[in-house]
Amino acid sequence: MKQFRNMAYPYIVWSVIMIVLPMLMILMYAFTQKGNDVLTFRFTIENFLKFFSDPIFLDVLRRSLWVALLTTVLCLLLGYPIAYIISQTSGRKKILLVMLITIPMWINMLVRTYAWVGILQDKGLINTLLGYIGIGPLPLIYTDFAVVLGMVYNFIPFMILQIYTSLSKMDKSYLEAASDLGANKVESFIKITLPLSLPGVISGITLVFLPAVSSFFIPKMLGGGQYVLIGNVIESQFLTSGNWNFGSAISLIMAIIIMISMYITKKVDKTGQKEGGR
Amino acid sequence: MKKLIQFKNIVKEFDGQLVLRGINLDIYENEFVTLLGPSGCGKTTLLRILGGFLTADEGQVLFDNEDITQLPPYKREINTVFQKYALFPHMNVYDNVAFGLKIKKEPKDVIEQKVKRMLKLVGLEEYGKRQVTEMSGGQQQRVAIARALVNEPMVLLLDEPLGALDLKLRKEMQHELKKIQQEVGITFIFVTHDQEEALTMSDKIVVLKDGEIQQIGSPTDIYNEPANEFVARFIGESNIIDGIMVQDKEVVFEDKHFACLDVGFAPNEKVDVVIRPEDLDIVPREQGKLKGVVKSVLFKGVHYETIVETRSGTSITVTMHVSEAKPVVNTEAKEYMSANDFYLDLEDIAELNDAEIIARADAQAWDSETEDWISIHKVEYQIEPKTGTYPVTFSTKAGTMVSANMFVREANRIASKEYEEEIFAVNFFKKVDEIQESMALDTDLKTWANASAWSLEDDSAVEITDVVYDFDVENLTPGDYQVTFKTEGYEYMIDTTDKHEVGEEVGLMFMPEDIHIMSKKGSY
Repeated sequence: MKQFRNMAYPYIVWSVIMIVLPMLMILMYAFTQKGNDVLTFRFTIENFLKFFSDPIFLDVLRRSLWVALLTTVLCLLLGYPIAYIISQTSGRKKILLVMLITIPMWINMLVRTYAWVGILQDKGLINTLLGYIGIGPLPLIYTDFAVVLGMVYNFIPFMILQIYTSLSKMDKSYLEAASDLGANKVESFIKITLPLSLPGVISGITLVFLPAVSSFFIPKMLGGGQYVLIGNVIESQFLTSGNWNFGSAISLIMAIIIMISMYITKKVDKTGQKEGGR
Repeated sequence: MKKLIQFKNIVKEFDGQLVLRGINLDIYENEFVTLLGPSGCGKTTLLRILGGFLTADEGQVLFDNEDITQLPPYKREINTVFQKYALFPHMNVYDNVAFGLKIKKEPKDVIEQKVKRMLKLVGLEEYGKRQVTEMSGGQQQRVAIARALVNEPMVLLLDEPLGALDLKLRKEMQHELKKIQQEVGITFIFVTHDQEEALTMSDKIVVLKDGEIQQIGSPTDIYNEPANEFVARFIGESNIIDGIMVQDKEVVFEDKHFACLDVGFAPNEKVDVVIRPEDLDIVPREQGKLKGVVKSVLFKGVHYETIVETRSGTSITVTMHVSEAKPVVNTEAKEYMSANDFYLDLEDIAELNDAEIIARADAQAWDSETEDWISIHKVEYQIEPKTGTYPVTFSTKAGTMVSANMFVREANRIASKEYEEEIFAVNFFKKVDEIQESMALDTDLKTWANASAWSLEDDSAVEITDVVYDFDVENLTPGDYQVTFKTEGYEYMIDTTDKHEVGEEVGLMFMPEDIHIMSKKGSY
């Protein structure tokens, strides 16, 4: 085993340079003032005060969490049935369905989102078609609807694949046992399938909520300039305003919020596992 | 007793393969019934049809005189203990057991009482809060039984439930299950491939093979009066001998007449005679009804399993010509070469080719220093399709040459009317060191002598079980030796408490009631 231990060093060096150091830098930037040079640090919590005292930022934060939550719920409601249907099929059909879910992910997310701009805009595909039957043009693009649609579209494969994996791993004999003990199909689903697929649901939620809450190019492209989410704020602090310190502080706040929400989901998962049958 | 379950002509096919071929079976109230058979006999399929997890292609299942063939599992008054228990991993023991009652929406206090009582029955009253994943195999087994029984079914199905347990736990659970069945007083249908388990627990055993019922009966019936050869071999060890039923209560086997208790066979009907190992006694040779030689003795814990051969099989003896090793030396090319004379069957000349000749003559060439093998470049010979002696010359590229003789003879085979088989072998030539270097001499002798045996009925191969020779391999000198090849003869397995020596001449003793006669019909 010794030789393998040596092989880990390049990865340790890599992760220190690429993960640990940048995170430390964010931490350092978040607690310092603008205009530091390498030698003089002036520590401050002003960045955090600025964020929490400005109602605009809090409003953006609230909206970001809401959009992410909505996206996650929609992904779950749409994704679970799809995952369930795929897990019930077999052979070629199953492979085909999994491929259909996976293939769009091979194409760059930016390109796919841009396609939606073409579909949703005032002179886009949908409004042109609606125009033929005398409706519209409807305001589709640059709305909450467009942003949530873009997010659900981009992130739902993660949800489906996670749930599908945990459903297909489930031993079919549990369902036979439930049926043997008098449970019909609906009761079996609620009492057995659903609780046993919870781990997949939890990791699906994680994989959708995380990118949804911090995404910036989907609201930018589909929400237009006026639609600001927390990701856009962070982006502009780094790229336009050049206030890296404030940007780092917001990133840190987001990281903490996400950590707390993940902790809560894990807790729910564990108690759900234990009390699933009650 | 009342008929509880009736299978009527159940047929089931999987991918064009018939798994059940028309099963007719009645199961009564309060019975412990075992479906017994080797894997693939259809026993689990039959159980799953009864549980409702599979539907039969043809036939009917009646439960309490009602047709339940199309009823889904959750509407049947039957519960199952699954092979791998299928306990719900996300629930604790209590919730697993309470599952069925909660589905039926029984009042909470009733559920609690019933679950507690059931956990007590299986000896797990302290384990209600335990996660099932944290329990041992035996405990999970008990939970599975409690989970099924708490619903107060009319019938409990058990699909090889003891298969995953170790031997000691298995024995315990066998007694436990029997006890539980007697206590709750319902029908248990138990599937197993373990004949001992079936004999221990059942009121009634159903022996299945290839989707057909072979015999239905009590454990003692099935053991003492097996219906056919398959049942006799599957239920316990037995000696099965070909015999002829001369008349009622008189059977002939091994050319001797014996009294027995069986009646109702046609005069001179060919039958299978079954004698259980524990019914045979070894006695001094002159007192035995049969005489034989002890072939092997195995210690089995409480007894010795002794094999006595009363008559040897078909045998053939050939001569092995042993010569001193003298390879041809080619000093120039630094090569050694050797080849043996060999005998050839007249019939084999047509199929003769270079490779075959090299193999039969065991022709070899090798480097005198490195001992690496060198390929034989040329094989020169002339042969005619009649008996005689023909020389053959082998040579390498470097020009080393060695000659050998091919002796063409009529086929040397011995047929045995008694066993309907034929055995064949030829004389052969070998060098001392080749014999001494052999790693598996019996197998090599068979190969060298080209020995084989086959059935005259269907041409299938018959195993040569014995290779007999009397030379001392370590101190072998050139000369001629006899080697005898034998097929299996009449052998009897006897359970004895005394240890007998291999080679001892003994007699076998048995009583008329120890002989069980089976019709050849219905056996394979």
